[in-house]
Amino acid sequence: MIWIGDVLVSPGEGGVYGERMLEGYRVWDPRRSKLAAYYLLGGGLDLAPDMRVLYLGAANGTTASHVADYVDVVYSVEFAPRPVQDLLEIARRRKNIVPIMADANRPDEYAPFMEWVDLIYQDVAQPNQVEIAEKNLIFLKPGGHLILMLKTRSVDVRRDPADVAASARSELERHLDVVEVRWLEPYHQDHAAIVCTRRG
Amino acid sequence: MPGCRHRPGGARRTGNHAPHRYGGLYPHRLGDSPDCGVVRDREGYINLLRAVCTRLAREKIAVAYQAGDVELLQMVRTLDELDNVINLLSERAAEWHQVTNPSFSRKYRRLPARKMLDIIRREARGGLSDVAGEINRLTGVRGRLMREVSTRADEVMPNVSALIGGLVAARLLSRAGGLSALARMPGSTIQVLGSEQALFSHLRGGTPPPKHGIIFQHRRVHNAPREVRGRVARVLSAKIAIAARLDYFRGVLVPEFIDDAQRRIDEAGVVA
Repeated sequence: MIWIGDVLVSPGEGGVYGERMLEGYRVWDPRRSKLAAYYLLGGGLDLAPDMRVLYLGAANGTTASHVADYVDVVYSVEFAPRPVQDLLEIARRRKNIVPIMADANRPDEYAPFMEWVDLIYQDVAQPNQVEIAEKNLIFLKPGGHLILMLKTRSVDVRRDPADVAASARSELERHLDVVEVRWLEPYHQDHAAIVCTRRG
Repeated sequence: MPGCRHRPGGARRTGNHAPHRYGGLYPHRLGDSPDCGVVRDREGYINLLRAVCTRLAREKIAVAYQAGDVELLQMVRTLDELDNVINLLSERAAEWHQVTNPSFSRKYRRLPARKMLDIIRREARGGLSDVAGEINRLTGVRGRLMREVSTRADEVMPNVSALIGGLVAARLLSRAGGLSALARMPGSTIQVLGSEQALFSHLRGGTPPPKHGIIFQHRRVHNAPREVRGRVARVLSAKIAIAARLDYFRGVLVPEFIDDAQRRIDEAGVVA
């Protein structure tokens, strides 16, 4: 990851969402992006230039645009029409974003457009987040990684976030090795980054 | 071209299967897929893929926006926003007027916002008078938009509108996020749409559950005697749930259903 002092940045054409520029790099704000928060809080799974990434829940594509600055290609899946409009505009100007309008619950619908990826990054506000991640593991290379941004409030508002994270972890451990669970406070409340590796 | 043999639903079973299951069908590794001579290299492949995906997404967005409820959603939200703006501006204008008139007070006078604005427009000068004039115009805009919302709701959701009126129907739609979402909601959820704060404070413990949310705006709920208001709200919302499904899946008014539903809702409002 590229740091200027203690500011996380990414290399690429700016002006995507009015982000600040620093020495020609795009500032990646941890308050707006959970992935940036993960890196600022010491997360260890870096993005690499040869990585192929599946991004589930790309929304307006702000975080996806930063990821695209670092990696080879980003398959960006988003379902809601309104954010996809923005995502398409970003994909038009970034040659390594493949915008896919589909439901992350139905990987069979976008499987024709996919290839094996090194990293699945998931940030969806659905109660069955873990199940969605599991369904998409068919695209993950052995030894590849999953970063699941667990929105504990979307799973169940009534349960204690730590509880939700613990059961998500044990569900994920059926198929994956969980490397770390990192809470994103103070940048994002009740969000945990769960990093996993697919067994080889 | 990799992926050119697209078979919809080909990979119906999902889960943690070994990837080679799909090896022949999908290009998990580009080197493995047969060369169809469409693209030369990876860059060409990704570019073509982006073009295809972009076009598919555009088509899907267009289809999604065709549904009649999409614009209605924006209309009703604009209406609610207008209400907010008008109220805020009226309050502010009244405060402003008051400090220019040391002897003026609204106490002991029946002065609804509208009349108050007329007074301001007559008495004030300059900026304040302009503001009052604009508020009046906005009120007109609001009235026209409200009728438009009502008419559109009658078209988009004829059954729900027949039960609770176009405006409340549109507000329910707005809170649910669309007709398909509303049609998939159980009556008990529809009953408390719009009272989320009370509902979650109840779920977290302690407070009594809310009896009604947006549907309170319907006269049969807010005019019902207190002791049966919960029952009316419950029966009404159960009927709305059915009506929403009729609207979503049939899209036409079903008079037999409406007559029966109206009778049941009226019965619920009778105090024993």
